[in-house]
Order: sequence, then C-alpha cells, then structure tokens
Amino acid sequence: MKNFKIALAATALLSVATPFAARAQSTYDETQQLIAQIQTDARAIVLQSMALDDAQLAAFTPVFDAYQAETKKLAQRQVDLITAYSSNYDSMTDGAAKGLLNDWLKLQDDELSLTRKYAKKLDKVLPSTKVLRFVQIQNKLGTLLSLPAVQGVPLAK
Amino acid sequence: MRIASLAVALAVAAFPVVTHAQAAPATPSVKADEQVVLQQVMTDKRAVYARNLELTDSESRAFWPVYDEYEGKAKKLNDEFLALVDDYAAKFGAITDADATAMLKKKMQIEKDREALKQTYTRKVAKVLPPVKALRYAQIETRLDNMIRREVYGLIPLAQ
Repeated sequence: MKNFKIALAATALLSVATPFAARAQSTYDETQQLIAQIQTDARAIVLQSMALDDAQLAAFTPVFDAYQAETKKLAQRQVDLITAYSSNYDSMTDGAAKGLLNDWLKLQDDELSLTRKYAKKLDKVLPSTKVLRFVQIQNKLGTLLSLPAVQGVPLAK
Repeated sequence: MRIASLAVALAVAAFPVVTHAQAAPATPSVKADEQVVLQQVMTDKRAVYARNLELTDSESRAFWPVYDEYEGKAKKLNDEFLALVDDYAAKFGAITDADATAMLKKKMQIEKDREALKQTYTRKVAKVLPPVKALRYAQIETRLDNMIRREVYGLIPLAQ
C-alpha cells in the first residue's frame, strides 16, 4: 500500500513538473511539497523494511537522513530537467537536445555514485547483510519512483 | 509490454528462490533457460529501437553497428549479474556478512560498469545520429532498463 502511495506521489510530481499531463501549471511549492511527501513515505518504508535493532537504528538514522538530503537535491535536478525538456519539447533544437542529454547522463551517474557512497558509509556502522538489504530496498524504490516519471514523458521528436 | 513479461521470465529463470521454496544452486538447465530468455529480451529490445527511432537508411547504417557492439558488451555484464543472482539464490537464508560484502562489492562493480558502458555508448550514438534522435535513444534505453530492473528487483527477496 505504501508502495502504491509512493508511486502515486511520483506520478503527481511528474504532473506538476511538466505540462505534458495537461494539468496544473508547475509551481515550485507544489513540487517541493510532493518531493517532501515522497521522501517521508520512502523513509517510513526504509525504516520498516530494514528490520534494525535499537542500536543499529541509532547508527543508521543519521546516515540515512544525510542520504535523503542528498537524494532530495537529485530529485530536484530531475524535476528541473523534465521542466526544461517540456519547455523545449515542441521546438527541440539540436543544442537543447545535446544539453538535455548531457545533463541526464550526469544525473544518472550522480545517482549511482550516491548509492555507492552511502553503502560505504553504512558498511562502517551496520552488518554487511543490512547494507546489502539497504541497497536492495533503494533499488526497488528507485525503479518504483522513476518508472512513472520516465514513462510519462513523451519521446523527443 | 513484451519486454516486461520477458524480464519476469528472466528473473524467474535466474532466481530459483522465487520458484522453489528452498534455495538451491542454479542447475545447468536453469542457466540455459536464462540464456534463452536473455537472448529473447535482447531481440525484443532491438525491435523496440527499430520501431521507435524512425531512422533513415543512412542513420540505420551508422547506428546499428554501434548498438550491436553495445549489446554485445552489455550481455557480458548481464551474464555477470545473473551469476551473482544465482549465487545469492544458492546462499539465500544463510548469507554471512562476508558473503554480503562480496556480493555488494560485485553488484556495485557491475552497476558501475553498466552505467559507464551505457554512457560511453550513448555518447557514441550521439556522434552518429542527430542530437534529437540521440536523446530519443537515451530515453528508450532508460525506459527499457527501468522496466526490466523493476521486474527483476521486484522478484528478488531482501537479504535476511
């Protein structure tokens, strides 16, 4: 149920970030609110799914909060990228396409680096099986969140 | 959504934990099944690109050799990932911290290599296709990748 809720929030995020969905105009406040909601839901899922004891939880939470703060910046970059794409969609120039492609590749790279960076940090405070579990949860959440955002954007023309 | 259903089959074939109550090492027949399904996924991916990129004849001549080279290299990484999933399945329920460390390291390396490969070949595609079509290529690759990952990750139980 939580996963469904988070997917809905991701879809809603897409709809305010881009005019493709032909709904409300993008607004900064709405986007920030939705990112915050997704992060709150994701936090609850992760904390529940990690199945940590009290000592592990105390060690895990500050690292995870720092991870989420960095994830938020990446989420904002993705929203900005989709917004830029939507602005250029009907009259995409070669220059705009090149810029968007480069920004997208950089974002993908940074997302992967962030997971690696925090897996290393967590490995210092949690048993490795828990770190593996964390990465698995992030993988599941990542695909769940990115799918509606990616699928909802029409291909470049 | 043929790709997605094939990905499910791939994951099921690759991950005995899902189909059997008790984890067991991947048998030769399971490994053969994995290869058959993997080959089918790659064939289907090729068809998706052919249908959606809308290439001219000259663009086709430039694009397909690059794409085939990319898929050839990606297959090696897919094989490594399947071997890792087989190992995870074989040890599932009794994974030690040492196992988890080694698996995590391997997984991170595969992910890093996969992303590097994807970026290298997206840039190669961008050199032989107009920028808008290169962007379209990257969008399709991302969609297919996400769909397959979602199905595969959805079937792999969390480490205990």
